[in-house]
Amino acid sequence: MLQATPNYTQAPAANGYEFSTGTGYQLPEYPFTPPPELTTGQVMRHDIVIVGAGLAGLTLACALQQYGIRAILLDEDNTVGVKGASSRGICYAQKTLEIFKRLGIYERIAAIGVQWSVGRTFAGHDEVYSFDLRQQTTHNVSQQPPFINIQQFYVEGFLVEQLYKNAKETQDAQQVELRWNNRITAFEQKADFATLSIATPAGAYTIEAAHVIDCSGARSPFRAWCQASVTAKKGYDRWCIADVRFKNPPPVERHTWIEAPFNEGRAVWQHLMADGVWRIDYQMRPDADPEEVSREDVVRQRINGQLGRKVHASEYEIVWVGPYAYRSECLDQLRHGRVFFVGDAAHVVSPFGARGGNSGVQDADNLAWKLAAVMQRRATPALLHSYHEERHEAATHNVLVTNRTARFLRPSDGAERVFRTAAISLAKRHAFARQLVNTGRMSAPNVYSRSSACTPAGGRALQNVALRWADGSPGDVADLLKWAEGRLLLLVFGVLTKGQARHIIMLTRQTDMRCVQVLGQVLGGMPGGKGPGTAKEHVLDPEGHLAASLGGAFWALLRPDSYIAATGQQIDAELTRALTTACGDMF
Amino acid sequence: MKTQLNLEDADQFYENLMDAHLSLTREQSEALNARLVLILANELGGTERLAACLAAAVDAGKSPHLQQS
Repeated sequence: MLQATPNYTQAPAANGYEFSTGTGYQLPEYPFTPPPELTTGQVMRHDIVIVGAGLAGLTLACALQQYGIRAILLDEDNTVGVKGASSRGICYAQKTLEIFKRLGIYERIAAIGVQWSVGRTFAGHDEVYSFDLRQQTTHNVSQQPPFINIQQFYVEGFLVEQLYKNAKETQDAQQVELRWNNRITAFEQKADFATLSIATPAGAYTIEAAHVIDCSGARSPFRAWCQASVTAKKGYDRWCIADVRFKNPPPVERHTWIEAPFNEGRAVWQHLMADGVWRIDYQMRPDADPEEVSREDVVRQRINGQLGRKVHASEYEIVWVGPYAYRSECLDQLRHGRVFFVGDAAHVVSPFGARGGNSGVQDADNLAWKLAAVMQRRATPALLHSYHEERHEAATHNVLVTNRTARFLRPSDGAERVFRTAAISLAKRHAFARQLVNTGRMSAPNVYSRSSACTPAGGRALQNVALRWADGSPGDVADLLKWAEGRLLLLVFGVLTKGQARHIIMLTRQTDMRCVQVLGQVLGGMPGGKGPGTAKEHVLDPEGHLAASLGGAFWALLRPDSYIAATGQQIDAELTRALTTACGDMF
Repeated sequence: MKTQLNLEDADQFYENLMDAHLSLTREQSEALNARLVLILANELGGTERLAACLAAAVDAGKSPHLQQS
């Protein structure tokens, strides 16, 4: 069981985090069970093998489990987080939180995570500008907040526990099987399956997989095994994280210094996460020695400088210190034969805007329903092409956005610095210039503009809008999607003619989609004047938020990942085409 | 991008611009120009127009020989 408040213990350094220091986190450990293949010696073929139980791999496993799809999840160690470097991503964006709501772990995240929406940016001693994400239309109709900050290992631990819990409830531990301490040592693939060699503490074995989902992170061995080409840009900026816990905590706001007087005019980030732990991330000199900047006395010196006095060691605890240099890279193809690259295995970006872990979770959610639809014969394997089309577009966009921030934060000497100084000084006086001050563009759902699975009107995410069930009780879009169990969901607004209803019923039978009628008015005042809605299932959208989110369309075809596949005004061939498209040209 | 005269009073503007730089060091001038560019860019606004202006400025800095090639 993941502990609600972890003990902070000595953490071993590993996985390239050799200069990590601090009292560390105690992570849960999961049992290694010798796989049956070790005794039988049989080579089994599995539909889906997921490699890596990080954010992406666990999200994918959890989603597949919910869709009723069998999968094996392999992880090279027996815990969540990275051993000795447990503190990684901290900032979970609305779209990710909406996915976690569907997977059943959102409430646990909200219970101990820290919600924030106010961000303040400083240069020197002045506040340049502040924002409140709640005021922005892009975030304001979801049931989930713009962001929650929480340590990554908590999220991963919740996903693991959710997987075990669901397995217990369905009494099917084999459906999604977690195999800890299972490390891939070799890989090869043929046209219709791949072979994986796996090492465990109890011996080695081999399995075959129809689909390999690589969620093994930025050091993925599959990149070389698949000879995947990568577009990369090396960063030369250095940072050093200090996760600390104060006795007297500062206000819950994101504070960003572009030029911090207490950090030799370089940038500093300050964020709160669970257990009252603050992440303070300091930009270092490019030639800084990572070992030196992570030394305890040096970290304490920085804290003294930030608080403007000598802070006694008893006033705060250093939980974790980790220096890092970021890079940005993106695979040119997110699919190589039987292998799908997901999360950091597919793309790596700088941390600005929280686009790393969040995009990994969204990759996984994108792929999960497509795999399920193909496995359950609701879509052709051609649908899987859209994974690359959609998530490569997203990754490319994230690389572009994060590189721009990185450039603003580490301008080259000369014109780049002159213009940054100009932008900052203007931002203090004029609203327009605040938009030029780029301290990170916060992760928002990506748009899919060239997907073979969406029509031009689709490709946008629908937020988790609140609605009411036919009996007036509260619900939301995530509930509707759960009810659809991985099927496409047709939302029809208002009253249907008999002909339209017949057409929809026929399509529902043909394609195994689900359909819900959305009515604007509360019970009693039904449009048409009598009885419940004309469709068997209907929901209420009394405030019209759902209708407005879909741009006033008559119908919208919603995918299990809460992306809109298509919208339209007529129940006609256009709807049939949209359905066909969203199923990989199935019909 | 406008290539014909659009300034209401070209001489007046030019003089004001020179005066603004009058007592500045090279560095201060550079900073002033940078602020001015950002302010004027916001006045123009349109991505395409700005790109055209930027290209025209880059282009005019090239030698006539290079321009022909």
